[in-house]
Amino acid sequence: MGTDNVRIDDLSNLSAGVSPALAEGLWTSFWDGDRRACARLITKVENEPNSIPGIRERLADRLGHAIRIGVTGPPGVGKSTLCSAIALGLADRQHRVGVIAVDPSSPFTGGAFMGDRVRMDKFVGDDRIFMRSLASREGRGGLSPSTPYVADVIEAFGMDRILIETVGVGQAELDVMNTADLVVLVLQPITGDAIQSMKAGIIEAADLIVVNKSDLPGADTVLQSLRFVYSLGSAKSGKAPPLLAVSAQQTEGIEELVDTLEQLSTSIIQSGRHQELRQQRLVEEIKSGIVDELWQRYLRQSDAERVIENAAKHLAASGGSAYKFVREMCSNIQLTVDPKANA
Amino acid sequence: MSGSPIKVVVGKPGLDGHDRGAKVVARTLVEAGMEVVYLGLRQTPESIVAAALEEDADVIGLSVLSGAHMTHFKRVRALMEEKGLGDRLLTGGGIIPTKDQETLAALGVGKLFGPGDDPDAIVDYIREWIREHPREDAV
Repeated sequence: MGTDNVRIDDLSNLSAGVSPALAEGLWTSFWDGDRRACARLITKVENEPNSIPGIRERLADRLGHAIRIGVTGPPGVGKSTLCSAIALGLADRQHRVGVIAVDPSSPFTGGAFMGDRVRMDKFVGDDRIFMRSLASREGRGGLSPSTPYVADVIEAFGMDRILIETVGVGQAELDVMNTADLVVLVLQPITGDAIQSMKAGIIEAADLIVVNKSDLPGADTVLQSLRFVYSLGSAKSGKAPPLLAVSAQQTEGIEELVDTLEQLSTSIIQSGRHQELRQQRLVEEIKSGIVDELWQRYLRQSDAERVIENAAKHLAASGGSAYKFVREMCSNIQLTVDPKANA
Repeated sequence: MSGSPIKVVVGKPGLDGHDRGAKVVARTLVEAGMEVVYLGLRQTPESIVAAALEEDADVIGLSVLSGAHMTHFKRVRALMEEKGLGDRLLTGGGIIPTKDQETLAALGVGKLFGPGDDPDAIVDYIREWIREHPREDAV
């Protein structure tokens, strides 16, 4: 199981080989505010992950101001209807709004049935709002892998509030936590007793909890059990998130909900929390970017795919630890970093 | 991008409320691995084309059972040209006489399907059309 001796150095040249061959015309139209170009760029990001670093480099100057609001909750609680109402409310408060709605891809066929537009038909053709449906594809945490980058494209297009609606989730699909600045958890009456709300997971991640369909019986019970759970303390911020009862279909409570979102947005900007979240995401992005970049460079300089394949064959047949092989393989890589580069 | 799923917007323009056919076809396309944005009932040509534009759809599929197919397909096709979506496929189905299909084909509307057609034929037709009409990056 010998591996070639490979040097990975010259970190100054990190972005080599990743610039996408995108037509300049597309960029010109995009900066001119052409919605078709925006839609096309989103498709690029979705379909060609290799193009993401190059595209983000060009968007970078226009990023950092938008508030990304994740809207999550179990299937059928009314997330789409609620997003539609929130989007219109934000647009009426002089915001330009992006809406990203993620629906599940079939793990068997890869196909997806995306029905969010059925509930979001009130703002078609409204220039203040740009809406896009995404299939979750390989994503298993409520969003598609490209969702954060699609949000980048929409933000750079000029939207300053971006709603990100997850697929209908259970208790532990937490992608939205790492993608959004604010998380809205949507529940409905008859959603389970207090025991459900005491479980760990999505309920801890919420900055705002909305009990939708409040015109149906049982809304008070849900509100009461949530109040009880939060009276016991909250892991995230130490204080209970605002709790609102609304009926998206009857448009009851929507004004108050949008006002609350605006207050939360202002408060995370003023407290520096927004900047902090952006910084955290950048740290993760840089880390995974370095891993990808070094891996690609390693592949270019060695026969790693074949060596790994052979090692796996050997391990599967005769047993042994994969980690022993990993240590051996890595010990043959010389990673030298110029101290001046880290100054 | 040959490996990326084909994206289809499916909608029913006009007031006809018979959406079972549209749902069956949408489901068939999903089963075939396509990503279908379902718009549902009571759409206008404008709302369908606006949605297709934001979704960057490869295909627009209309279901028209009301007899108003000439109006709807013509209008949607015209709007597609106007909005720069002339390079996408407009197809669909309903109760559409052969001679109307010919008239619409001359306007750039794709193949139209009717009762009794095998849903898989729609899948084959769309795949074939996409293969023959690769989209360019330039906008």
